[in-house]
Amino acid sequence: MRQLKRIATRFAAGLGVLWGAATLSFVALHVTAGDAALATVAGDGANPTQAVLDRVRADYGLDQPLWQQYLGYLGRLLQGDLGESYQQRVPVASAIGEQLGETVQLALSAALVAVVLAVGTAVLTARRRPWIRSAASGTELVLTSFPTFVLGLVLLIVFSFQAGWFPVSGNDGVSALVLPTFTLALPIAATLSQVLRTELEEVLEQPFILTARSRGMRDAAVRLRHALRHALIQIVTMSGFVIGGLLGGAVITETLFVRRGVGQLMLTATTTKDIPLVLGVVLFAAAVYVVVNLVVDIVYGLIDPRVVTA
Amino acid sequence: MRFLLSTRLLAATVAIGALAACGSSGGTTPASADASSRTAGDVLNGKGSPVAGGILNLSMSADPLCLDPHAISSDVEQIFGRILTDNLVYLDTDGNPGPWLAEKWEISADGKVYTFHLRQGVTFSDGAVFDAAAVVANFEHMLDPDTRSPLAGPYIAPYESSRIVDPYTLEVTLKQPYTPFLDVLAQGWLGLLSPKAIKESTPAQLCEKPVGSGPFVLTGYTKTQGATFAKRAGYDWGPPQLGYSGAAHLDGINVSWVGQDAVRFNSLVSNQYQATGYVPAQNAAAVKTDPNLVYSNVNRIGLPYTIEFNTSRAPFDDLAIRQAFVSAVDREALVKTVGFGERQLATSFVDRVTKYYDPEVKLRGHDLKQANELLDKAGWTGRDAEGYRTKDGKTLLVQWPVAQTATISPIFDLVQAQVKAVGIKVNVELLPSAQLTTRRYNGDYDLSAGVWHTNTPDVLYIKYATFSIPNEKRLGQNTSRISDAQLDGWLEEARRTGDKAKLAELYGKSQQRLAELVPGFPVYDNSVLWAFSAKLHDVVVDTSHGTPYFAYSWLEK
Repeated sequence: MRQLKRIATRFAAGLGVLWGAATLSFVALHVTAGDAALATVAGDGANPTQAVLDRVRADYGLDQPLWQQYLGYLGRLLQGDLGESYQQRVPVASAIGEQLGETVQLALSAALVAVVLAVGTAVLTARRRPWIRSAASGTELVLTSFPTFVLGLVLLIVFSFQAGWFPVSGNDGVSALVLPTFTLALPIAATLSQVLRTELEEVLEQPFILTARSRGMRDAAVRLRHALRHALIQIVTMSGFVIGGLLGGAVITETLFVRRGVGQLMLTATTTKDIPLVLGVVLFAAAVYVVVNLVVDIVYGLIDPRVVTA
Repeated sequence: MRFLLSTRLLAATVAIGALAACGSSGGTTPASADASSRTAGDVLNGKGSPVAGGILNLSMSADPLCLDPHAISSDVEQIFGRILTDNLVYLDTDGNPGPWLAEKWEISADGKVYTFHLRQGVTFSDGAVFDAAAVVANFEHMLDPDTRSPLAGPYIAPYESSRIVDPYTLEVTLKQPYTPFLDVLAQGWLGLLSPKAIKESTPAQLCEKPVGSGPFVLTGYTKTQGATFAKRAGYDWGPPQLGYSGAAHLDGINVSWVGQDAVRFNSLVSNQYQATGYVPAQNAAAVKTDPNLVYSNVNRIGLPYTIEFNTSRAPFDDLAIRQAFVSAVDREALVKTVGFGERQLATSFVDRVTKYYDPEVKLRGHDLKQANELLDKAGWTGRDAEGYRTKDGKTLLVQWPVAQTATISPIFDLVQAQVKAVGIKVNVELLPSAQLTTRRYNGDYDLSAGVWHTNTPDVLYIKYATFSIPNEKRLGQNTSRISDAQLDGWLEEARRTGDKAKLAELYGKSQQRLAELVPGFPVYDNSVLWAFSAKLHDVVVDTSHGTPYFAYSWLEK
């Protein structure tokens, strides 16, 4: 019962987050300087007639007062209508939908690589000789503080321009996925691994580890079977951070490697003030956050009942 | 045929010797080219007998997110237009309108009625027949506000009505005489689409699947990733001036959007793509010396890259301040830095390859002494704490809003530093493109910069006629907001006359008048940099846009 009530509250809060995200973005997009109708048809190199501009304003209700536009937007949103992209002239849902598959593919493979790398590094380096630890955490520090763009470019120069192992760009096949995946995964893996190692080291100090060792258990087994189990809960806690890193990093990674995807879509939509499309992507990102956090909450409650009773 | 002859003559000259050599079957001689050595109509890497088959992988810069040529202003259409569509008119190597799908035409004495005699036997790839009704459907599509045409529609704005005399004779009536009409009909953005596709598609559908009569057919389009084109079997109606016939040799063209300069350059060198429509200027030197690549740098008809003053408000409403600013700028230094040796210093308000370009125009040179004298005389004699000039306690400050992009041109900072020497303060503001567009149309800036590429000297009307100043009723491209009755008179008269001697006189006088009015200062001629693999042959330099024309290209096995 308590569990159900908790989930219901979280769900309501999630809806509130979505509404807040939609409203804030709506206001931010409309009040910042720049005429959306002009941006849609009269950008650099375009010389449209006034009739075209008037038609766009009328088509998208941009000639109405802002509160009316806002209520209209919320009304359509409640019916599940995200509107039409100003630039592409297709429904926002399908504009996002046709880019989504590639981003999901990239995000999942990056998440997988990040977790495997982080777990591997943490297990291998926790409570090891100082030089091993400092080498690992030094590398991690460099990777987390490296801008994604620079990291991607370095990988490109080394493995693509020089070695020629992977294609420079595109969406064709697995080999084109390798460099973008690592660009996206490495900074996330570095942070996760730092957190995980600290956690592991704490666990490895616990009395039950000593007990296990005194039973004659080998070091590898102690680390994997006992310590890692406890430390892994941190990964669940960190999943919000991971999702954030994946979504934010996707914009840069997709642009750099010229991959199609939601990230690229967001970038073009923002610079051209394609309001419905930007709102659509913001809502999508917010929904992903909300859902992931909800799932984490539920899972957490199952793993560790203290969370519920506390 | 005349065209082929001229190519052979060119090939015989020493200057183009290297070009011909790189076309040998080995394809290993470096294709060296100085700034703008190519001219419209050249056939590049043209030796050998064509081999059928193969796919050309082509990298482009940015996806316009719509491939209906009438609905976009993206320069992609300069290349795509020639792949997918045909036009009524094709310019000859001298920039004169010549036949294509319109075999000939007559123009009424008052310049308002054009009678086109159309080519027979042409079909669109969806089976629709090319005839007079098809042309009418295209004009109406370009002008329909629902198409949101940013270029094609506005270029034929004087269009009034059409009368179909017989299926292959079309009489077009204009609201007023408009000499550039034939020129603009040759542009990629005015390529002709299937009337059936126009009728049966929504604007968004036509964006995703435009249907033309060109040498290739669009077979796939994945937004932000790429587009694929397949050879159109039975195509045999290319521009007669080119002297080619029949269908394409290539089986198809696969296009990818590659936005990053470094990535586009490296993927060309590694032969992932056999051609790119956009060589980054900073990589041109490397591309030029690569024996496996053929490089092309072609000047384009239209406005050079020009920095313009907003003459409608202080301080640049004062001619003396504009003159002083130009005198303070070292244009040659600018071109050297931003052009990487690939751009030519502009010498007039039209690019030197524009018809009726006047080589006698004298633009102001770099002269700091004169700049200081002009500013002193204009009363800007005080100095503020930072050393900038003041008048009545106000600093001589100019606002320069520019687009915030991944790679911002160093030209803004260079100009800022140059005019600081005479005490002018330039504030460069980085803005998102949506904001920049809004400020441009609202007249809220002191400096602006850009090119305007079209294929007619009428670019001067588009850029400097009073009619082209944006206001509440009308958009327009006169960003300098210069308004001069004499200039207006000449530019309007040039739109009404077909007499070449008269046109030369009118456009010549207009260019000289602009040099006196100083609405801005042209910096470098607008050229387009592209390159392709030495294994690709018979790539034609398009006469309207200076871009590659692949209809008759073939890939060596």
